[in-house]
Amino acid sequence: MHYTETESMVTNEEKVPSLAKIIWREIVRDKVALISFLFIILITSFVYGISIFLNQDEIVRVDLFAINEPPSENFWLGTDYGGRDIFGQLIIGTRNSLSIGILVTLMTGIIGVTYGLASGYFGGTVDNIMMRIVDFFLILPFLMIVIVFVAIVPEYSVWTFSLIMTAFLWMGKARLIRSKALQERELDYAQASKTLGTPHWKIMFLQVLPNLSSLIIVTMTLNLAANIGLESGLSFLGFGFPEDTPSLGTLLGYARNPQTLELRWWIWVPAAVMVFLLMLAVRNVGEALKRATDAKQRRG
Amino acid sequence: MALLEVTDLKVHFPIRGGILNRKIGEIKAVDGVSFSIERGKTYGLVGESGSGKTTTGKSIIGLNHITSGTVKFDGVDLTGFKSEKSDIRKDIQMIFQDPYSSLNGKRRVLDIISEPLRNFEKSSKAEEKKRVQELLERVGLSPESILKYPHQFSGGQRQRIGIARAIALKPKLIIADEPVSALDVSVQAQVLNFMQDIQKDLNLTYLFISHDLGIVKHMCDEIGIMYKGRFVEEGTKEGIFNNPQHIYTKRLVAAIPDVNPVNRQRQKVYREKVEEEYQKNYNDYFDQEGLAYPLRQISQSHLVALPQKG
Repeated sequence: MHYTETESMVTNEEKVPSLAKIIWREIVRDKVALISFLFIILITSFVYGISIFLNQDEIVRVDLFAINEPPSENFWLGTDYGGRDIFGQLIIGTRNSLSIGILVTLMTGIIGVTYGLASGYFGGTVDNIMMRIVDFFLILPFLMIVIVFVAIVPEYSVWTFSLIMTAFLWMGKARLIRSKALQERELDYAQASKTLGTPHWKIMFLQVLPNLSSLIIVTMTLNLAANIGLESGLSFLGFGFPEDTPSLGTLLGYARNPQTLELRWWIWVPAAVMVFLLMLAVRNVGEALKRATDAKQRRG
Repeated sequence: MALLEVTDLKVHFPIRGGILNRKIGEIKAVDGVSFSIERGKTYGLVGESGSGKTTTGKSIIGLNHITSGTVKFDGVDLTGFKSEKSDIRKDIQMIFQDPYSSLNGKRRVLDIISEPLRNFEKSSKAEEKKRVQELLERVGLSPESILKYPHQFSGGQRQRIGIARAIALKPKLIIADEPVSALDVSVQAQVLNFMQDIQKDLNLTYLFISHDLGIVKHMCDEIGIMYKGRFVEEGTKEGIFNNPQHIYTKRLVAAIPDVNPVNRQRQKVYREKVEEEYQKNYNDYFDQEGLAYPLRQISQSHLVALPQKG
């Protein structure tokens, strides 16, 4: 072959780092993000690990002989008005809140990405119709409908709560992905795939989707923070979980009682701090990811 | 019989606007183009930016919607053709202009080149790998590079990967959309000569789209000159370059730089003369809208868009 000679001369052997590597470098460089990242890992493994050994029924059982006790050796973070151990509730509550946050983020992610990708990729009339459906979902009064659902759903669990939230939170992602897919489909590689006879779904998921991966990772992380907060907010208002399913929101909800708010800080302060730290940490990591995907903003 | 026959091809894009996104006008990207390509020949489509050459190529392969006209490939009408998995798709392939955006940066060379094979041929992984290695060798890249990503190659190499992908299915017609305009000149010659080599080996027919007349002169047997979506002149390479009839073609041919510096002054005077003629006679050669007139035959193989009054 008469070209091989020139070829070996100009072959560019320089290694371009993978996305995972760039992200890791960025997180290590940004100390706040690194601490946040370690904090998240620590809390998640701790909460999920310990809650295996904790018995939820035991913890939420009412004990009239230990009502509203301040922190002591028996109850590390005291008890609430039903004599229930706050520490145990905090662990299980954090687990439940995190589970909801992660589930909602994943489910909205899958629905939003698929929907947005299809809409943007096909474009034209299909896009127009699909986006009008999104518009319809967007104008629905989210909080009101969630509250109604909460009232009519017979069995209330992490799963049903996640599904209800997912039904109204996928639109933002769909719009974002659609806007990027509209750009990608015009690029030559997508057009080339069409001329090579590749079916549409393959082009969408095997060609276009990998090119949007960084965007998806960033928005999913930032969404996770928002979703944890949303669950806590709803539970605080009393439209989240009942008291026998502890979550960060239900613990915060006790603070609606003025006496608890003023005199029994151990019931709600730990949960408030936990929500605050979790959201902050996830956000910090998300911001670092965001910078990592944009070469101009990178610090690492 | 000609391999590809395009008759009165029109591609119009709607302009939407106003209330309710109504159609308020249209852009006539391609406006009544006819030509045919014989098997094994190279047809050059030349024109300035926005003259509709790429649109013509893309509508033949089915990337653009054809407004009217027919495209016959091997006797089969391609207009209104829907099925993706057919042999016709297999027989027409395309080489894209930009070697950077035409290869998906997230996929390995193996995946890129085997994409058409996976779509049309059911072969085992090992066979597929062997085929890809053969193709890579054929385009002058080392077979070991199958696991590399596109960004690890230079522009010329990437374009050759694009060519390997296009010839993977052994097509009959290849639409080459400015295949070398994104490459630097030293690499251009390499890729062009290589394209001619595989044309002989595989008996390929090219539709060669370019704005570079030097390259067209090197590559093509027949040439069509486009301006604002219409042909202004069509004929054999010799006819167009030695005996241009339309002032637009004359101006284009005059603009080809001459390598010999001795002729520089003479060339400049000639160019200025042609430019002057172009300015003076513009209204005679184009209609009120600035479009070319219908083509008229002036010899066996030479058609020019001259006004009816002659």
